[in-house]
Amino acid sequence: MLRFSSNIRTKLNSNGSRITAAILGSLITTVALTVCITLIWPFGDLIEQIFAGGTFFFVFWASLFYWAILAEDGKKAWLRILALFFPVLAIDIISLTFK
Amino acid sequence: MQQQTHKTLYASHAWIGIISGILLFIVTFSGIPALFDHEIEFWQYPAYSELDEKKPFDLEQSLQAAKAIDFGYDNFFIQPAGDINKHITLAHFIKGEEPDIRYLSANNYQQFPPSPSEVSHLFSHLHTDLHLPNPWGRYLVGLSGMAMLLAIIAGIFIHVKWRKEFVMLRPKRSWRLLLTDQHKLLGLWSLPFTLILAFTGTILGLLGLISPILALAAFNGDVEKATIAVLGPKAEVTGEYTPVYPLNELWGRLEIDLPDTSVEFIQVSGLKLITTEGTENSEEKQTTEKINKTEETSKKLVTDRGGIIKFSGSHNEKLSNLESVTYNLSTGERIHQGSFIGKGPFQRIFAAVTPLHYVLFGNAWLKVCYALAALAGCGLILTGNMLWLHRRGHGMAHWLSKLTLGVCGGLVVSTSLTLALSQGLYGFSSTEEHHHFEEWGFWGFWLFTITLPFIFKDGFSLSHYFLRITAAGFIATLIIDGLLNGRWIWASEGWVFNVQAGILFSALLFIYLDIKMPKQANIRKAAEAPADVDTSEVANTELDHAQAS
Repeated sequence: MLRFSSNIRTKLNSNGSRITAAILGSLITTVALTVCITLIWPFGDLIEQIFAGGTFFFVFWASLFYWAILAEDGKKAWLRILALFFPVLAIDIISLTFK
Repeated sequence: MQQQTHKTLYASHAWIGIISGILLFIVTFSGIPALFDHEIEFWQYPAYSELDEKKPFDLEQSLQAAKAIDFGYDNFFIQPAGDINKHITLAHFIKGEEPDIRYLSANNYQQFPPSPSEVSHLFSHLHTDLHLPNPWGRYLVGLSGMAMLLAIIAGIFIHVKWRKEFVMLRPKRSWRLLLTDQHKLLGLWSLPFTLILAFTGTILGLLGLISPILALAAFNGDVEKATIAVLGPKAEVTGEYTPVYPLNELWGRLEIDLPDTSVEFIQVSGLKLITTEGTENSEEKQTTEKINKTEETSKKLVTDRGGIIKFSGSHNEKLSNLESVTYNLSTGERIHQGSFIGKGPFQRIFAAVTPLHYVLFGNAWLKVCYALAALAGCGLILTGNMLWLHRRGHGMAHWLSKLTLGVCGGLVVSTSLTLALSQGLYGFSSTEEHHHFEEWGFWGFWLFTITLPFIFKDGFSLSHYFLRITAAGFIATLIIDGLLNGRWIWASEGWVFNVQAGILFSALLFIYLDIKMPKQANIRKAAEAPADVDTSEVANTELDHAQAS
C-alpha cells in the first residue's frame, strides 16, 4: 500500500505529470474559463460576450500552459491548474443552471 | 528572470519546435503561395489576362447570365470581379460533392471555359487543411498555429539580449554559431509578422472547435443559433413564389447600407431561376441585348417569399471582412445588418482576424513583407531543428535531420517543379487531365524528395541540390511560360509581370542560398566546442545534455 502510494506520488511529481498538466489540464481549464467568461462578461451585447470568450480562449490556453509548465514539479503544476479549474467549474454550473 | 524559469522556457521552446517543427514548416511555407492565391490563379491561366477590361458590376445581368447557362440553383454564390481578376464567379456548393463553379466575363457576361489548372488551390489547400478531411486538417493547422504561438512566447522571454541579437551575425565562426545567430536574427526581425500570423492562424484553424464551447455558454449549445446571431439569418423556404425585388436597386442601396465596403460575396437563397413567361433557355434570351433589358428580365425571375440575398465583403478603411447586409428577395426589406465597425473590442478583434492573416488591407508590398516574414519563419524552423540536433551532436545521419530535409526541402522543390509542370502541361495535356497531372506531379515530387535523404548519406550536398533544383524549377517556369504562352517577363505587364518577377526573385534567392550555404559542417557536441559557444547558451547546453541523458 505504501509502495503504491509512493508510486503515485512519484508519478504525480514527475516531469510527465507536469507536461500533462500543461497540455491537457490547461486545455480543460481553458474550456471551463471560456464558458465562464462568455457567461459573465459584463460589457457589450451577446455577440460581444461570444467573441470575448473566443479571444480569451487562446490567451488563457497559452497563459495556463506556461503557468503549469513553470511549476517546480508535477504536483504543483496540477495544483495550479485545479485551483483554477474547480472554482471556475462551479461558476459555470451555477450560471448555466440559473440562466 | 530566475535561472530555472529561463531553463524551463528554453526547454519548452525547443521541444515545441522539435515536435511541431516539420508540420509548422509545411503550414508556413504553403502560406506563401496561399497569400498570393488570386495573383497566382490570374497569372497561371493565360485566358484570364486576355479577357476584356471589366465593366461596373451589374447584379441582374449576372443572374440573367447564370440563367442563360443553366446555372439553376436555389442557393448559390456570386463573386464579382476583384482588383486582380476580370471575371465573375458563380458557385454552388453541394455537401460531399464537387462544387459547380462557372466563370463569366466581367465585360460582356459571357461564360468562358474555367482554368484547367488547380495549382493555386493545390497550394492554398495545403495551407488551410493540409488536404486532410474537413474539419480535421483545419484543426491540425490550428494546433500547429498554437504551437507556433507558444514557441514565440517562450522565445521572446528567453532571448533577453535582443538588442544585441538584432544585428549579430558571425558568418566566419562555427556552423553552430551561424545557425544560432540566424535563428535569433530571423526570429527577431520577423517577430511582429509571425506573432500576428500565429495568433490569427490559430483562431482561424480552431474556431470550429471552440464554437460549440461558446454556443454552450451563450445559446445553450445551439451552434446554428449562434451562427445566425453573428452572421445573419438563412432563407426560410415557404414554397410560395413572388416576383423578385429589383436587384440593381438593392445593389444601389448598398452605398447607404454598406458604406465603404467592397462586396466580395453575394449569397442568393430561395431564388427560382425560371421564367414566368416564354421558355427558359431559348437562344434569343441569351443575347446580350435581352439581358440588358433589366425591367423585362426581372419580371422573369421569381423568388420564394422567404428568399434572401446577402451581400458581404471587406471594409475599405477598417480591418473587417465580416461586413454584411441581408435583404428579403421578395420585398427588398433589410432583415439583417452585420457590421463589426464601431462595436466592442472583441468583435473588432475577430473581424480583423482574416484581414490580418491574409493581408486584405494595404497594398501588394505589404503582402511581400508578409511573404518574406513567412520565409523567415521557415528559416526559423529549419535553423531551430538543426540547432537542436547540433547541440546533441547529431549530424545529417540522424533520422530527424533526414526527415526535416526530406519533408521541408522536398516541399520547396516540389512547389517549384509543380509550377513548371503546370505551365508545361498547357502544351502537352488535355484540359480535363491538367489538374490531375499537377496533383500527381506535386505529390510525386514531394514523396520522391522525402525518400532521397534516406538513400543518400551526404545531406549537405543533397541540400545544395535541392536549392539548385528549386531555382531551376522557377526559372523553367518562366521559360515555359514564355515559350508556350508568349509571356516573356520583359514583355509582360500588370499582375502577370508581378507574379513572374516574384518567381524570378524566388529563383535568385535560392541561388544565393546555394552559394552562401556551407558545403560541409563540423558536427561536434556543443560542450566539446566551448570557444565557439555563446556564454548565454552555456546554461541551455547543459540543460540539453541533462535532458539527453
